[in-house]
Amino acid sequence: MSIDIIVAGVGGQGSILASHIIAEAAILADSGSRKNGKKAVNVRVGETFGAAMRGGAVASHVRIGDDVYGPLVGKGQADMVLALEPLEGLRIGVQYIADGGIAILNREGFAPVDVKIGAARYPSIEQITKALERLGASPVVFDATSLAIEAGTAKAMNVVMLGAASASGVLPFDESIMLEAVKNRVPKKFLDVNVEAFRLGKEVYAGSKPGMSQQGKKQNA
Amino acid sequence: MSAILQESGKKVLLMGNEAIARGAVEAGIQLIAAYPGTPASEVCEALIDAADDSDYYIEWSTNEKVAFEVAAGASIVGARAMTAMKNAGLNVAMDTYMTLPYGGVKGGMVIVVADDPNAHYSSTEQDTRFLAVYAELPCFEPMDQQEAKDMTRDAFEISEQLELPVFVRSVSRISHASGDVTLGPVQKKRNTVAFNKHYKLPYRWNVYGAPGAVSKHEWLKGVFPKARRIANKSRYNSLELVNGSKVGVISSGVAASYSREAVSRLGIEDRVSFLKLGIVYPLPDELLGRLLIGLDALIVVEEGDPVVEQLVRSYAKENACGVRIFGKSYNQIFKPFGEINTDIVSKAIAGVMDITIPDDPRESVRKKVSEIVAPRSSTLCAGCSHLGSYWALKKALKAHQGVHIINGDIGCYEQGGYGLFASKTDVNDKNSKKYPVLSPYEILDTIYVMGSGIGLAQGQAQVGYKGGKVVAVAGDSTFIHATLPALVNAVYQKADITFLIFDNRWTAMTGHQVNPNTGLDTLGRKARVFDIAGVVKSMGVESVSTADAYNLEEAENEISNALAFEGPSVVILKGECMLQVLRRAKKKKTETWVDEETCTGCRQCIQLGCPAVTFNKEKKKAGIDEINCTDCGLCEQVCPYSAIKVGGKHK
Ligand SMILES: Cc1ncc(C[n+]2csc(CCOP(=O)(O)OP(=O)(O)O)c2C)c(N)n1
Repeated sequence: MSIDIIVAGVGGQGSILASHIIAEAAILADSGSRKNGKKAVNVRVGETFGAAMRGGAVASHVRIGDDVYGPLVGKGQADMVLALEPLEGLRIGVQYIADGGIAILNREGFAPVDVKIGAARYPSIEQITKALERLGASPVVFDATSLAIEAGTAKAMNVVMLGAASASGVLPFDESIMLEAVKNRVPKKFLDVNVEAFRLGKEVYAGSKPGMSQQGKKQNA
Repeated sequence: MSAILQESGKKVLLMGNEAIARGAVEAGIQLIAAYPGTPASEVCEALIDAADDSDYYIEWSTNEKVAFEVAAGASIVGARAMTAMKNAGLNVAMDTYMTLPYGGVKGGMVIVVADDPNAHYSSTEQDTRFLAVYAELPCFEPMDQQEAKDMTRDAFEISEQLELPVFVRSVSRISHASGDVTLGPVQKKRNTVAFNKHYKLPYRWNVYGAPGAVSKHEWLKGVFPKARRIANKSRYNSLELVNGSKVGVISSGVAASYSREAVSRLGIEDRVSFLKLGIVYPLPDELLGRLLIGLDALIVVEEGDPVVEQLVRSYAKENACGVRIFGKSYNQIFKPFGEINTDIVSKAIAGVMDITIPDDPRESVRKKVSEIVAPRSSTLCAGCSHLGSYWALKKALKAHQGVHIINGDIGCYEQGGYGLFASKTDVNDKNSKKYPVLSPYEILDTIYVMGSGIGLAQGQAQVGYKGGKVVAVAGDSTFIHATLPALVNAVYQKADITFLIFDNRWTAMTGHQVNPNTGLDTLGRKARVFDIAGVVKSMGVESVSTADAYNLEEAENEISNALAFEGPSVVILKGECMLQVLRRAKKKKTETWVDEETCTGCRQCIQLGCPAVTFNKEKKKAGIDEINCTDCGLCEQVCPYSAIKVGGKHK
């Protein structure tokens, strides 16, 4: 059994940190559960490289499971795509999302230089979600950047997304553990802001999917 | 506290390179010397982060050969030493690397080389395991981050046991991936540092010392059987025999991770025997022999070239095994270039075993959907000083007729050869023809490896190329790393070339490491600044000048003078890496703006290649991306209509 997640975004948005927080949470959860005699899980984080190196597309693969060895998610196997930037969510979704997978997208786009100089067109958010639906995925879109600003800083957008991810029910551990991993990894100065960002992300996800509201209510913050 | 100094017994998430660093810490490392190179740099970086709480010596050296020699010197006097480099780095260290094994080492010496299958960050896909075989060194290949740590630690032990350097071959998918690692105890004991000229062998540290190099080679050959015994017993090599299986899989390093997943994905665990290799050289012949008994087919799965495969083939031939071997050379089931993954390995194994993998019915949807995915091209950073240097070079070259040859080199400025968007827009855009200045992303004509540009330029000039100007460019780190002998040669041979040094003070492309030109040492303390201009002058270059890369007129003038000079000329274009500038002084609100009434839509500013300059196709007006813009002033100087301004925007 394995859970495969890809965090997609552009350089500087904190997608690598977000992926490491998910992975660390998986290790924390495993260390906790092994005391009850369960089989150890392996955790891997890998990256995919676009043509871009800098200011470019970043995708970080997180794999959790007792039969996980390699760092990359197989084609069409991602249970979740967590997109800090919608175009990157689509770029990764096309290749990797599983039939029936969940795509959580931050609404705020970050135009590539190709679009900025008029050489390419940025797809509308509707086009992006439609495309993901055609691939058999369930997209959820919300404005994580605004929520992060509401929490105290736009920089916490990645943690808002982690809040949403932990409310989705896809992750194999409790959201309190994810929050613990968030607290371990963010700068102490911004602890409260990030805890709030996490909470806002959780709530908005719960609100966007009525079926998930039960999960959203379990508050550990 | 540094991630690699956490307490023993803890299970933590470590990047492969951090895991290697931790392994060195557990082994009681005493010296680390390295030159940056992706994907290997974080080995040294993690150890720099941990240096304040540790007692080892650590340095960023000026190149890999020097780093290798510094580590070798430490090992000769008994210390545990390590060097880490990217694939190409070993080519630079090659001379000493091939010779040190003649007589070997005393203190444990570990050479970490991170290969880069698929050339994500490299000029080539070269497989350095060939070079471990070439130098006759034991070669470890970790399958995950836990092994990366454990093997590095054990490599020091084995190095001391065999008195030979030990090779740890990583790849991007190990070095730059992260995994759970359970930390081991840190050895407190340090090796004694002492020198013995005749340590166990006469003239141990002098290949020419009596009885000479051949006897040292004989000594080296004598180590091999001991290394083979270690390989046969190592816990990193494991054989899982399935009774009555007709198919075997041999897989090494990260490929073993893919193979394990593929076997379980195909549900054939009970049909194939599996030899997982962690030490690929010497090959564990006993394990191999036991695997081969009764097999019809053997599948060799490895990342890189068919190194294990060739060794296995020669073993199988010698032992008259009738087994059919599949891999990357004969009976090709893998492409012999690019990288592999679990999907590819699954398909390859399924093919040999006649298993059908159903196609994903969404493939046609994928094709359709892909059409709306806009590209995200790679560019130099907004406000990068290299943008100014390239602009000035292009303008200066316009005064000369012909086909100029611009020899590139390795660093951020190599993007000048990536060929990007602006060239495409240029083709269909009549307006931009008025200013036929090409994008900076098309300017470089040759790019190979660090330091190669100036030698190539000299050859072109020396053979009588008169079709245009001959230019070479290199960054400051590259200048120090690999161009000095070539520049001396150009002076000595009186070559008519112009050499531009893009001095941004940092080894930027690999993540802003320090170099002798930075003014800081490896641990961030103040250091003497290397005098590039002084060194160039002392070499005998008669035309040497310095210009501000952000002052386009000055830069263009100095380059023009250099181009007009007959003989070797050098221009040092100064402009600190913008990312470093922004790191120190936080970005203020952008003050650069476009006066749309004055803007004619000529797109000259787009040709600068700065990702903060935008263009609105409908309005036919340039714009500024305020999030990215650094107010560097380059586009203001480029605009022929003074439509771009820094400051003074009226509300
Ligand atoms: C032999 C070798 N070692 C290391 C590298 C990795 N590498 C790529 S660019 C670069 C240096 C860049 O520094 P500099 O020349 O100052 O240019 P900058 O990136 O700062 O513009 C290095 C070390 C390499 N490509 N080849």
